[in-house]
Amino acid sequence: MSNLLQLCVSGLSLGTIYALIALGFVVIYRASTVFNFAHGEFLSFGAFCMVSLCAAGLPWGISLATAMVLTGALGAAVERVVLRPMIGRPVFVTIIVTIFVGAILRSAIFIAWGPQTRGMPTPWDPLTTFEVAGASLLANSVAAVAAGACALAAFFALVRRTKLGVAMRATASDQETALALGVPVGRVFAATWFLAGLFAALAGVFLGMFPRSVDTNLGFVALRAFPAVIVGGLDSAWGTVLAGVLLGVLEVLCQGYVNPHLGEFGKNLHAVFPYVVMILFLIVRPHGLFGTREVERV
Amino acid sequence: MPTRPLVTSYEQDLRLFEDRWARAGLVLWTLVALAWPFVVTDRWVTTANLALTAVVGAVGLMILTGFAGQISLGHAAFLALGAYTSAILGEQFELPFWLAMPCAGAVAAAVGLAVGPFALRLRGLYLAIVTLGLLFLTNHVLHSLPELTHGVSGIPVRMYSGGTDAAGEALRFSAPWRLGSLELGFDEKLYFLFLALAAGAAWLGKNVARSNSGRAMMAVRDQDLAASVLGVHPARSKVLAFGVSSFLAGVAGSMFAYQQQYITIEPPFDLNLSVQYIAMIVLGGVGTVFGAVAGALLFVCLTPLMETVGGWIPFVADLSTHQRSTLMFAVVVCVLLAVEPLGLLGVWLRVKRTFAAWPFRY
Repeated sequence: MSNLLQLCVSGLSLGTIYALIALGFVVIYRASTVFNFAHGEFLSFGAFCMVSLCAAGLPWGISLATAMVLTGALGAAVERVVLRPMIGRPVFVTIIVTIFVGAILRSAIFIAWGPQTRGMPTPWDPLTTFEVAGASLLANSVAAVAAGACALAAFFALVRRTKLGVAMRATASDQETALALGVPVGRVFAATWFLAGLFAALAGVFLGMFPRSVDTNLGFVALRAFPAVIVGGLDSAWGTVLAGVLLGVLEVLCQGYVNPHLGEFGKNLHAVFPYVVMILFLIVRPHGLFGTREVERV
Repeated sequence: MPTRPLVTSYEQDLRLFEDRWARAGLVLWTLVALAWPFVVTDRWVTTANLALTAVVGAVGLMILTGFAGQISLGHAAFLALGAYTSAILGEQFELPFWLAMPCAGAVAAAVGLAVGPFALRLRGLYLAIVTLGLLFLTNHVLHSLPELTHGVSGIPVRMYSGGTDAAGEALRFSAPWRLGSLELGFDEKLYFLFLALAAGAAWLGKNVARSNSGRAMMAVRDQDLAASVLGVHPARSKVLAFGVSSFLAGVAGSMFAYQQQYITIEPPFDLNLSVQYIAMIVLGGVGTVFGAVAGALLFVCLTPLMETVGGWIPFVADLSTHQRSTLMFAVVVCVLLAVEPLGLLGVWLRVKRTFAAWPFRY
């Protein structure tokens, strides 16, 4: 029982991180119908910035905020320089451009920070655990869940309550109409990429904490968040958050309970398990949990 | 804006080579291709072998993505299936390559046909991510069958040409051939075999493009609702595109395996490879066989060049050769996409029109 609780909490923390990553994808997709394959590199950029800023002696909270803003600025810059000229091109052109922008960023990160693996600094002792009902829960996991929940709450408040949120929703539903009504669509694009960058940096920082570490392969975790996006529905923020958390928990439970029983096939099964869930799910619901169903009319 | 030449008759639309430019180019390229292994150094023969492999794979992806409009990030999975099928058939049954290659294609095509039905319900990005999932699953399955694939340690690929020699040993393809004073080593023999396969693949692609089923695929790509109203069967077109494309990918994988002689699962069969194939067809120009061939040749032949040039640029020189060429390619692809959306095809059309309209500018 305590084992189950322990797995659930570590699954929840992984799920929260997936939810943050997936939300980054969805925010960008809704505004500009671009699926940003470079998102993983935003994660590593944020995590590496955090490591460097902390090493430079800044307090932890300020470093986190600065890393997030820097990553957000990187996102906005990528949008302005690379993706703005691609508006109106076929889908696969934006797919390829973002994949290759990701490759460029990965090389740049590699050149700037080198191949060494680093530990992510934490204000608490990274090995702190809480004893709850016989299970020992890592402080890092609990903090990830808490920070993720705060960020998600702030995001939904922003979307519902502020003028920027209304502009974002307007742009998402129809770009041309939004333009005609005086919404500065270009600035909304920049804002969404900035937001996605903020989430990516936050996810990267918590992803880099013990028991994991920060290296240039951190960005590949974003690939594992794709199923969350698809299961939740590409254009539904709530759906992806829910799916992200669920898939995180499922992945850790699979690692704990399914992998050991399948012998050779079970090795690393948890890494592809979200994809298996996604494929099975798509057979039943091709537009995800809450995605908009495409209407076909002749 | 470069455009395609105006088609004025049905016969013209059906022609294999549309104008005398294409026929002249064909003659020139055939001469270059035949003379290639006797003129250049060994390194460039190896590069040409890889390029011809890429041509087969790129034509396959072009049929799926360029003609039928289905975005696939799982092309590497079909290549991996083809490569491992021919490696396992060679190791376990000493099957000659001319039997193993069609088998490799058939195994890949079987999986492709199984995935095809997904494309009936999913579009665009959803399909792209499902095919990415297919790639991860394929690699997981290959890893979890160590008695066949030897898992992470990789598998040697033996290329038999069928029959046995005097001592009862199965004949190896690597034995050199003598034709009078001419001696063909393993790489040269492979080169001519691959040249024939690549030409066959390009011909197949061209024929698909101008046939009924190819035009049906393009109709589905451009507007599937309108296509189905006009009597095109979108489901059949999509599944056919998946089948043909994955068959060619399987053959390309098998060619790659024979060329490498020892293969592992990841790398090379990862997301990066799928992306490279997409980059090839985009570089070349989406929607034409010319684009697939030109993109594949350019992509592979530029790799050694990129690795060398990268060494002269500060900071980039710190990277490994593989990372260097990845970075340089990323930059080239991004710039090309920004300035010439039709890729090499666009450049070619521009050049052709400049000469055709000379001395006028347009």
